[in-house]
Amino acid sequence: MSLPPHRVDYSPIIERPPIKWPNGERVALWIAPNVEHYEYMPIKHGPRDPWPRTPYPDVQQYSYRDYGNRVGFWRMLEVLDQYKIRSCVSLNLAVLEHFPEIRDAMVERDWDYMTHGIYNTRYLYAYTEAEEREFYRDNIETVLKHTGKKLNGMLGPAISGTVRTPDLMAESGLTYHTDWMHDDQPVPINVESGKLISVPYSIELNDSPLFRVNYEADYFAEICKRQFDQLYKEGAESGRVMCIALHPFLIGQPNRIKYLDDILSHITGHDDVWMTTADDITEYYIKNYYDQSVENAQKYKV
Amino acid sequence: MASERREGMDHPHHAWSPITTRGKLSWPNNAKIALCVIITLEHTEWEQLEGSYSADQAGGLGVRPFPDYPRFSHREYGHRVGIFRVLDTLERLGIKATVAMDTQTAEGYPFLVKHCQDRGCEIIAHGVSGSQMITGNMSVEEETVFIRSSRDKMQAATGNVPRGWHGTDYGESNRTPDLLRQAGFDYVTDWVNDEQPYPMRDGLTALPTMLEMDDLFTLSQRRVTIDRFAQSVTDAFDTMYRESDTSGRLLTMNLHPWLIGQPFRIGYLEEALGHIMGHDGVWAATGSEIVDWFNNNPPA
Repeated sequence: MSLPPHRVDYSPIIERPPIKWPNGERVALWIAPNVEHYEYMPIKHGPRDPWPRTPYPDVQQYSYRDYGNRVGFWRMLEVLDQYKIRSCVSLNLAVLEHFPEIRDAMVERDWDYMTHGIYNTRYLYAYTEAEEREFYRDNIETVLKHTGKKLNGMLGPAISGTVRTPDLMAESGLTYHTDWMHDDQPVPINVESGKLISVPYSIELNDSPLFRVNYEADYFAEICKRQFDQLYKEGAESGRVMCIALHPFLIGQPNRIKYLDDILSHITGHDDVWMTTADDITEYYIKNYYDQSVENAQKYKV
Repeated sequence: MASERREGMDHPHHAWSPITTRGKLSWPNNAKIALCVIITLEHTEWEQLEGSYSADQAGGLGVRPFPDYPRFSHREYGHRVGIFRVLDTLERLGIKATVAMDTQTAEGYPFLVKHCQDRGCEIIAHGVSGSQMITGNMSVEEETVFIRSSRDKMQAATGNVPRGWHGTDYGESNRTPDLLRQAGFDYVTDWVNDEQPYPMRDGLTALPTMLEMDDLFTLSQRRVTIDRFAQSVTDAFDTMYRESDTSGRLLTMNLHPWLIGQPFRIGYLEEALGHIMGHDGVWAATGSEIVDWFNNNPPA
C-alpha cells in the first residue's frame, strides 16, 4: 500500500513550469459553498462521534446547521447571484433528496458538484474497501440522477478518508480530491490506476474553522482579500488557485452576509481572474499540465 | 524530584540572573537589538511513530482520526510553497535566517537544504521529525542516540556539523542541555526565559526565543489573528528598542512556513519585520553569529 508521502512527489513551487490559465488569467478562483445535512439521529460508525456534545440528538447543533438550508443558503445565494458566481458546491448528496428547492436552485444555476459524501455525519474512516467502492458508485449515480452531471471530485465527508481513498476515487473515474492543503496549484496524486489531482481547497479561508472559535466575519473578509492580493501578484508569473470555502449556516447569518459581498466585490473588481469551478480547473490542468508536472517532479526524488 | 526551598534555580542548567543585575551587553557597531529569525522546517509524519510523543499536533482541522489528510498536507504546505515566500521576505529586508531543520526534511528534501544554504541561512539541528519530541520519558541512552544521530544526519545532509539545536516543540528532558553539550552543540534555543543570550553549564549557550513571537504558539495555539500578531511583534520591538539604551537586547522569533507562509499572512510578516529593519541599530544575525559575539564580548 502506497501511503503519503508517496502519494505526492515533492516539487517546490518556485521551480515548476509556469501555469497559464485559459485566457492568461493570474488566479483561478472557485467558490465552494458546503451545502450539508447532518443526521438528527446518526449511527456512530468508526472513530469519530458526530455529535460529541450530548447524547443524540443534539438539537442545538443539529438545528444550527439546518438553519443553513432553511435560511442561510438563500441569503448567500442572493449575494452569489449578484456577482454571477457559478459555484462548485461541496455537497452532502442526501440534500438532493431531502430538499428539492435547494437542488433546483443549484441545477438552475448550472453549478458544478463536488461530493462531500452522503451526510456530513457519515465518515469514511471505517469503510472497508468494498464499502468505499460502493460509496463512489452511489455518489456518481446520485449526482447524475438529480443533476444530469458527471461527478468528478470529492471533498471527503467532513474531510474524512481511508488510506485507499485516492486509489478508489480514481478507479471510479473521479479526477480530483480536495482534502489536500499542501499547495496553491493543482498537484498530481499518485494512484494505482487513472489520473487524480488535488485542487487547492482551503481550511484557512473557510468560515467553519474560523467562526467555530473567536474569529469574526470582518477578519474573514480581510484575510480573503489579502490572500487574493498575494496570489494575484504571484499569478503574473505562474497561475495560482484560490478557493473560498463557505457554509450557509455560518456565512448566511445576518451579521455576516455583508462581508461576503465585500470579498466578492474586491475580487471581481480585478481583471485577469478566472472565476471557475474545481471541475473546470481539473479538466484544464489534466489536459495541459498533468504530464509535465509528473515529469518535472522526478528530479526531486531522493 | 521536588524543588528545594533555597536561593537560585531549582535545576542545574544555568544560574539565576535577573536582567537588571547584569553588565552591559554591547552588540557589533553598538546595535541596540540583535534580531534572530528562526525558520522551523519540520516534516510531519503521516503516522505517529509508536512510543513517540508529540505535544502540539497543529494544523488541519485539529487532530482527526487516521488518515488525517488535511493535517498532514497542511504541514507539507511549508515545504512546497510557504518557505519560499518567507525566505523572499527575509531577503528583501536583509535578514539571514537560521533554519531549524529536522532530519526527515534534510534527507527527504535535499532541494531545500541547498536552497537554504544558497540563501546564506545557518542550518541548525531540529531532531528527527515534527512528530517526535524529546521528553522525560526517554531513557538517557535513547536520548543520546536521538541527539547524536540527528547531528550526524544533519552533517551528512548539509556538509556541516550543526552548532545549534532547536528541539521539536521545544522538547527536552531534564538532561538535554548536558547531552547537547556532550554531543558538541554550542547553543540551544529551547528556553524562552530571557532577552539576552546567557551561559548554560559546561560552555553551552542559551539563545532564548520569545515564545509569543512564535507563530505556532500565537496563531495556532492561542488563535490570535495575524494582524494582532504583527502588531505584537512591532510593540515588542518598540519596547525593547527603548529599553536597549542601557544594554543590548535579543529578539528571537520562530516561524513556521506552513503557517506564516500562507498568502494572506506573508504581507503581515513583511510589515512587522519591515518596521524592525527600518530602525537604526538593528543587527539581524544568525544564531551562531549572535552566540559567538556574545561569548567573545561578554557583558561588562
